Amino acid sequence: MNDAGQYRVLVVDDEASVLLTYRLILEQQGYAVTACGTSREAVEALEKNEFDAILCDYSLEEQHTGFEVIHAARRRYPEVPAALLTGYATLETADEAELKGIKVMFKPIEIDEFLSTTSSMLRKNNESNQKDIGEKDAKPQSNRKGEHGDSGARRRASTGPVKG
Amino acid sequence: MATAEVRFQPERINARRATQRRPAVLRLLEAERSEEIFPLLLEEIIALGFARALAVDVNFDTGDITPAAALKWPRQQLEKFSTALWMSEHPLVSVLHTARPAVLNKTNLHNRPIYIHPILYSNRNLCWEADRIRTATCLAVQNFHREKKIRLEEQVCATCDMRAYTAALIVEVPRNAAQSAITELSELIELANRYLSRLFKVEHYYNRMRDMEITIAQMGTVMQSMADPVILTDTQHRVIMQNKAAERFFRVPDEMTEGLVRAVELNNLLFSAALSSMLVSGSDSHRDLTLVDAIEGEEMLFEAVSAPTYGPDGIQIGTVTVMRDVTDLRRADQELRSNYDKLREAEEVVRQDRDRLNLIIENVGDPIVVCDREAKIVLVDPLASELFGEANEVPRNATQFRNQTQLSAYISNFTYSFAERETAPLSLSNPALKQEIEYDARSGKIFDEGGQVSYTVTVLRDLTALRKVEQLKVERRMLEIEKFAATGRLAATIAHEVNNPMEAIKNAIYLLAGSMPDTASPIYNILKSETERVARIVRQMLGLYRNTEQVKPVNVNMIIEDTLLLLNRQLQRANIEVETDLGILPDAVIAADQIRQVLSNLVINSKDAMPNGGKLIIRSRHFSSPDDLQGWVRILIADTGTGVPPEMIRSIFEPFVTTKGEKGTGLGLWIVKGIIQNHGGRLSLKSKPGKGTVFKIDLPVMKL
Repeated sequence: MNDAGQYRVLVVDDEASVLLTYRLILEQQGYAVTACGTSREAVEALEKNEFDAILCDYSLEEQHTGFEVIHAARRRYPEVPAALLTGYATLETADEAELKGIKVMFKPIEIDEFLSTTSSMLRKNNESNQKDIGEKDAKPQSNRKGEHGDSGARRRASTGPVKG
Repeated sequence: MATAEVRFQPERINARRATQRRPAVLRLLEAERSEEIFPLLLEEIIALGFARALAVDVNFDTGDITPAAALKWPRQQLEKFSTALWMSEHPLVSVLHTARPAVLNKTNLHNRPIYIHPILYSNRNLCWEADRIRTATCLAVQNFHREKKIRLEEQVCATCDMRAYTAALIVEVPRNAAQSAITELSELIELANRYLSRLFKVEHYYNRMRDMEITIAQMGTVMQSMADPVILTDTQHRVIMQNKAAERFFRVPDEMTEGLVRAVELNNLLFSAALSSMLVSGSDSHRDLTLVDAIEGEEMLFEAVSAPTYGPDGIQIGTVTVMRDVTDLRRADQELRSNYDKLREAEEVVRQDRDRLNLIIENVGDPIVVCDREAKIVLVDPLASELFGEANEVPRNATQFRNQTQLSAYISNFTYSFAERETAPLSLSNPALKQEIEYDARSGKIFDEGGQVSYTVTVLRDLTALRKVEQLKVERRMLEIEKFAATGRLAATIAHEVNNPMEAIKNAIYLLAGSMPDTASPIYNILKSETERVARIVRQMLGLYRNTEQVKPVNVNMIIEDTLLLLNRQLQRANIEVETDLGILPDAVIAADQIRQVLSNLVINSKDAMPNGGKLIIRSRHFSSPDDLQGWVRILIADTGTGVPPEMIRSIFEPFVTTKGEKGTGLGLWIVKGIIQNHGGRLSLKSKPGKGTVFKIDLPVMKL
């Protein structure tokens, strides 16, 4: 989380338009978003900044995969929640992801699913880091009405599930 | 009938005394018994003036000659007259043989001359038997006429079977006795002999009568004691005599019902008719007669055998009929006959069955072997005989020997197993092709009454050709699956290319939501929903791309479990209870990913059909079918959902047909159908709106 109390999310996708829309949607939810178009950029960003969640396309430039980015992130922050966004994950890929505690979202992704998955990843991680509770009260600014806004990154520490 | 007592008259001796002075003729008449003649005769001889006389008697049974009576003959000299017929040197015996009287002057028998007069049974008239027969000769008459010299040993009448008697009177005569005195003596003796012959004849008939009485009594006893009815009838068929057994049928007892009286009358009538018919037909004297037992009242079948009886004059006087109870005999005979007929019929049926069976066996076209409980071959069809040789014969060559060994091992195993039938592969050498061939042996057991295996029947199917066809099918199917996968890959590649731009479009539309003027809202909504629809189609097509896996043997149960595990959370969330009933399945050669997609498509369909929760049942089974070697795997997926409207059932597998409205792509079942068809399988559904839907998938089990 940054100084403004926002969750820091790293989004990686090699399609510029897709990357842009993801960034905008997440920023709409009040997250601090860093968007990268290649794995190299992403790795560099990871070296500079700390992130609360990684959302990464599976197939990146020049045969690079989302796994590499997530591995790089986990080397620094082993607990960081991560999700793969993919058009065609094989069963093996899905199995590998599950084994490593990585969520998989299949494109085209329902935006509801996209947002709820992201927020639940952050919430879980947040509960494991109790230090922040109470101090940070920065609500993601939701200028959207209806269900989407409700499913945002708002912290619900008191009601959320306890990590087993 | 005269009795013996009659002849012992007490006044006999007084009577004789009273007639002492009568002439000899009359005095000899005093004799009423043959033994009384000799004493009277001897007295008369002495009365004639002869010093002494004796009579000797010949016993024909022993041939002994012994003195029978003597008068004034010294007792001690009588010894000399005891002799025997074969003592031909004896003076007495030689005179007896000549049968003529003689005077012997010098003999060692007596110191004075003796007159020996042989006497022989003789009569002027024929005896009664000879008289009746007329033509016959009578011994008595023959002796009377002295027609020929008769040997003493042959003194038995040929007609009446009577044994004659022979005796001799011996009288001491003075030396140089006057011829007249001898003649007088001779005449006296002859007279006495005439009387003796008459008495002898009477006594003979008396004895015969007594014998006959005994015989008649014996015959009567025999007749009464016979269990079979015996009836003697006269020429008018009137009953003269019948035994007790016959009375039962032909005599009306004192107390009887009217019905039985009528039965007896009927019996008599029937019997009379039978006798008449036998009389008419002459030679045939057998008749079957059904009579009613007057006591028991039951019908009995008799065989009547009749024989005529003749009187002494040779004229038929009646008929003797003996009836044999053949009721049981005839019944047994009839039963035997009908049993024989039945047996012949049964034999005919069996023969036809056998012929038919043989025809079937010869035309089956597969080798058939019948073995006994010791696994020994008892029957082979021509095809099987090529493999094993003829039944009950030693194998002709090593191939047949080896095949027999193989078969015997298999059959022994099967015979002692609990299975009533069995199908197993059996490798045998084909003598024509000179190679090992795998047969499919199908065996069954034939049990005896005791439930023991008596025979086993085995039909062998040559699987080579079938396997070849199977192989072709597998290859073609794999090609189809591969083609489908390739199409899928192409579709997925296109979808992937479409996917990213569409992701951007979709996200952009989402981002635009807040900044749209209200007037643009309907257009915005169209944009949004249509984009979502494209997204779903793309998602579906991307699914196909994943199915690039190789075709290999997989247990369908594992795919079912995988699919349910993957969808478990979704199903739980939808409040759906899952029930699985998985049978034992052989591995099927399939593209596992494609089948996984089929299952997950169908399960998700079911889930979508149960918006308020419900029950999902998945069942798997292996079943065999005669057309395919390995059989089929059947998967049933049933839900308690809304069901498919009847008008949609025909088109449900066509592309872009959906029951889910906007939410569906209409591709799911189309893909499912394509995958199942590529696998050579069958897909069908049954549905009742409001009750639920059952999908049935049959996949052929193939082996590589």
